[in-house]
Amino acid sequence: MTKFISKRVGLALVTLLILSAIVFILGSLLPGDPGRSTLGPLAPESAVKALDHQYGTDKPLLTQYWVFISHFVRGDMGMSNVYHSAVRPLLFTAIGHSLKLAILAFIIVVPLGIFAGVFAALHAGKASDRLIVVAGGSSTVTPELVSGIFLILVFGLWLNVLPYSATPPPGASIGTQLYHLILPAIPLVIVLFGYIARMARAGTIEALGSDYVRTAVLKGLPRRTVIRRHVLRNSLLPTITVIASQTGYLIGGLFVVETLFHYNGVGTLLLQAATQKDYPMLEAGILTIGIVYMVATLVADLLYSYLNPRIRYQGLE
Amino acid sequence: MSIDVIPVESAGAVAAERTGPSPRGELLHDIVRSKTFIVGAVIVGFWIICAIFGYAIAPHNPTAENLEAINKAPSSAHWFGTDQLGRDVFSRVITGARNILIIVPLAVILSTVLGTALGLVMGYFRGLLDESIARVLEAFLALPLIVIALTAIAAIGASNLVVILVIAVVFTPLIARTVRTSVLLERELDYVAAARLRGEKSPYIMFVEILPNVMAPIVVEFTVRIGYAVFAVAALSFLGFGVQPPTPDWAADIAANYPLVAAGYWWEVLFAALALASLVIGINLIADAVEGAIDQ
Amino acid sequence: MSELDRLREGRTELENHYIDELVSGNVSRRDFLRRGSMIGMSAPLLGAILAACGGANNNSPSATTSGTGTAPAAGAPKKGGTLKVATQAPSAQVNPLTVSDSGGLAMLNQTGEFLAFDNNLKLMLEPMLALSWSPNSDGSVWTFKLRPGVTFHNGQAMTADDVVYSLQQYSDPKNASNALSALGGVLLPSGVQKVDSMTVAFHLEAPVGSFPYLVSSDNYNAIIVPKGTDFSKWQSTFMGTGAFKLKSYTQNVGAQFVANPSHWGGAPYLDGTDFTFYTSQPPQILALQGGQVDVITQFVVQGAQGLLNNSSFTIITLKSSNHRELSMRNDQAPFTDARVRQAVALTMDRPGMVAALLAGKGLLGNDSAFSPVFPSTNTSVPQRTQDIAKAKQLLTAAGHPNGFSVPLVTEIYQEVPALAQVMKANMAKAGINANLKVETQTQYYGKSTIGNSDWLDGTMSLVDYGSRGVPNVFLTSTLTSKGTWNAARFSNPTYDSLVKQFVASVDLQTQRQIAGKIQTLLLQETPLVIPYFVDGLTASKTNVHGLNPTSISQIYLDKAYIS
Repeated sequence: MTKFISKRVGLALVTLLILSAIVFILGSLLPGDPGRSTLGPLAPESAVKALDHQYGTDKPLLTQYWVFISHFVRGDMGMSNVYHSAVRPLLFTAIGHSLKLAILAFIIVVPLGIFAGVFAALHAGKASDRLIVVAGGSSTVTPELVSGIFLILVFGLWLNVLPYSATPPPGASIGTQLYHLILPAIPLVIVLFGYIARMARAGTIEALGSDYVRTAVLKGLPRRTVIRRHVLRNSLLPTITVIASQTGYLIGGLFVVETLFHYNGVGTLLLQAATQKDYPMLEAGILTIGIVYMVATLVADLLYSYLNPRIRYQGLE
Repeated sequence: MSIDVIPVESAGAVAAERTGPSPRGELLHDIVRSKTFIVGAVIVGFWIICAIFGYAIAPHNPTAENLEAINKAPSSAHWFGTDQLGRDVFSRVITGARNILIIVPLAVILSTVLGTALGLVMGYFRGLLDESIARVLEAFLALPLIVIALTAIAAIGASNLVVILVIAVVFTPLIARTVRTSVLLERELDYVAAARLRGEKSPYIMFVEILPNVMAPIVVEFTVRIGYAVFAVAALSFLGFGVQPPTPDWAADIAANYPLVAAGYWWEVLFAALALASLVIGINLIADAVEGAIDQ
Repeated sequence: MSELDRLREGRTELENHYIDELVSGNVSRRDFLRRGSMIGMSAPLLGAILAACGGANNNSPSATTSGTGTAPAAGAPKKGGTLKVATQAPSAQVNPLTVSDSGGLAMLNQTGEFLAFDNNLKLMLEPMLALSWSPNSDGSVWTFKLRPGVTFHNGQAMTADDVVYSLQQYSDPKNASNALSALGGVLLPSGVQKVDSMTVAFHLEAPVGSFPYLVSSDNYNAIIVPKGTDFSKWQSTFMGTGAFKLKSYTQNVGAQFVANPSHWGGAPYLDGTDFTFYTSQPPQILALQGGQVDVITQFVVQGAQGLLNNSSFTIITLKSSNHRELSMRNDQAPFTDARVRQAVALTMDRPGMVAALLAGKGLLGNDSAFSPVFPSTNTSVPQRTQDIAKAKQLLTAAGHPNGFSVPLVTEIYQEVPALAQVMKANMAKAGINANLKVETQTQYYGKSTIGNSDWLDGTMSLVDYGSRGVPNVFLTSTLTSKGTWNAARFSNPTYDSLVKQFVASVDLQTQRQIAGKIQTLLLQETPLVIPYFVDGLTASKTNVHGLNPTSISQIYLDKAYIS
């Protein structure tokens, strides 16, 4: 087990290193300049150069990259080139926001998806099964842009029942915060529902066809108990994989939802950092998301192999 | 944009349950007869017709402005109303199909070709080559779409070509991963060993022996990715990358007219969003039918 | 001795000259107020002179406004309450030296103040931290007398030392301050001199007739801070002399301010203000409509149609010099021929653009930066109108009977992409086919230097320019031979010399005369097209009064109250 973990961690570190290098290369191709984004497009180039020099953002990118990496590994994320304040608090606040939204979406979609998937599997081949599969598949590819617009139109414009700004007034209780997050969570629920339902369905079908379930049924155990004890566990396995693989998207990829619903998550932070060429913020943001993604997939894989003995002993990665 | 694994069941199921290559004719027959395929094909077919003949069949010129009649609600003169420059929204929705139906297939074909090649190489050779490419691909997977898009725009400038390349960069690792998994299973089979014994070179084995036998998951990936590509193109257009005004394009029109929702001018956004959603659903229905038939 | 003669005693030559103009009718009462205030005549004095000149005028120069103000409330202002304001999020650190975005600059004036205040509602320069100012005979030295009894929020008294320190920092090229866009070439740190503890003199590099604007709220960076302030840390204290003090500032989230009871203007009516930051407009509109905020500091028409003509909201409209400029490369075919450039200008349906894109909230542009809102604008120059037939004639004469194709590059910003499409449709009527390229602002501006910027290098380029109190920077930077924003590559020695004269002249009549010549020259040469000027718009609930916004997106809340 430890060998497995350390191998995975080692590989993850290699990926992260490559990731940071890719960001460095891409960063050097990005247009813009922190001095310029601070002073605006009409400022004279001499002023921009002076400001860049003052804040050290005119040093060669390789130097900036090295300085950043050497600090990052010690937990120091440096200073934003544009805000001139520490990156970590800004990034962590944004991650906190994104996490709240993601968790709310999960709380809604996981039970919903699993229930739908198991239901579909139990009625495999019938109309209700087809409906769930098709609905699930379609909802997965529905862009948040589309679902978000519909929600704003219906709930914001016509019905006026839910708040369409995801940002609550400052100091709001956790209940109010979650209330404001309901609408923006829905596009995410729509996207994830299909995955989870199909995975749960596949896992359930497989479990239903497995030997030990058939044995249990033959032994006379009520179907309900069989489902509860054996099938559900198997349907949960793929769900774990899906959740883990979605973390990258959920933390860093939601700029459309964040824009539509006015929410300061990591997606918007990254978009801003890339547009303003705020190099430390960009690197820190992407690497942190990368780390979260790696950890999530590692935990998911561990859970998966722990719960499913068949995988544990095979070498297939 | 959601970037993710394809349903694992497809790759595994195909490899495990297949006893030999399905007769192509029977496969097609199965697909065409399924109800989901028919519905999907009708929807997508409708939009393809609009893409080809849109400019001819639209009641108004989609780029004709009329500053006297801006932001008008749907009426008998303008079934979907007019936008902020007085253009007929119905005509823009009909002709807007063209852009996305050109970009999406090209982007997905490119990613499929690249992903398949990479997947074959990785799965067949394994070892250090496999591991190194896998690490790089994984790194690209962790990169947010935005950063890739902005960099590409900076390097090449905004255009349809850039959108295609960006989507290719994002999808290739995913397709490669799926193909690799299938290849890993295939390479253990007898016919591969036989080919090696015959003295065939690696490229021959990969592309002539193995490739035809992993076509099934590739086809599934292709059809599934088409749906995701629409998703990604929409997100990029929303940010202003891609087609230039005044060319009609659903996502670009949504982005341009989205501020007007606050003013109550819902028609300028709703119909384009419905069009986008219907295309996505249609593609998905077809993908589902294909997958279902292959699974038999 | 008449009352007027009595008032004339002790006035400077320039001031007397203005009074002459008023008496002879060469200057309207409104313009007299404006110009008089700009050269430092106090409000009571101006009112007295007007009264002495006959006409049933009151003493307070509030007779003219540039637009509609807040609804007058019955009864006295009500004290108390916290005003909730929606505003654009600052896009970088709030550092008075470097702020250049609309969100950041709106933060500066919440706690910081300037020597003078450019009151956009009254179109007058008013005393703020300086009580009065006057030029020497040629406008190369300006002496400002400071207001006594002003204290910073930390209790320290404001003196000439603080003013000198502040202005020296802003005008120092080494600091690369954004304020240099106004002060560069005009004032050097060595030119800022303390005369005594309450008097500061500015020795300019060259005479500038409208210098007071350059140290007013118009130069939005130039707030007065305590001597020795470290600007890069200003964001943590927001130290200033204003009617509000900082309570807290959170990047990307918002800022809160509390009333400063010892403000020189008296304690504000509000207990405090609460700003929420937004990165786009639609959520702000929804927040106002939903009651979560009381005020939107600045908005554009696109998407806000639900607020206009809605009795639940008060809209403050400010005429401004905020405009859009379509430049044509005068050094590239086909635009080397002035006839072609004129033809382009003649295709433009300006009233249609204002009606459709700005919902009427704008002023017609006449292809020069002289907005009707400037008193120096010469209003006798005829307004260009759409004439497609003439445009086609000119094109044929210039050798393009079937028109031509040309690329047009522009930015994603407010209504500019929509304007580009309207311009394309207009030009098409004369056979000119413009191929649009709409870029993000970063892409469009590039390095903002000639040769490195789509904005400056495009064959046709459509850009936006924010409002200013005087047209000087537009005239110099965009069209003089050495201008740094000369996207049109216009090079005309007559123009250069006229502009130099215009900038130096202190006298309004002279300015108008020269403006007339400049405006006519630009109509003949047409290096660029300016179709309209965009009004500044602020929205609030109807129970909010006393708001004082400016067209550069500042908002002053010291006299605001909620009824």
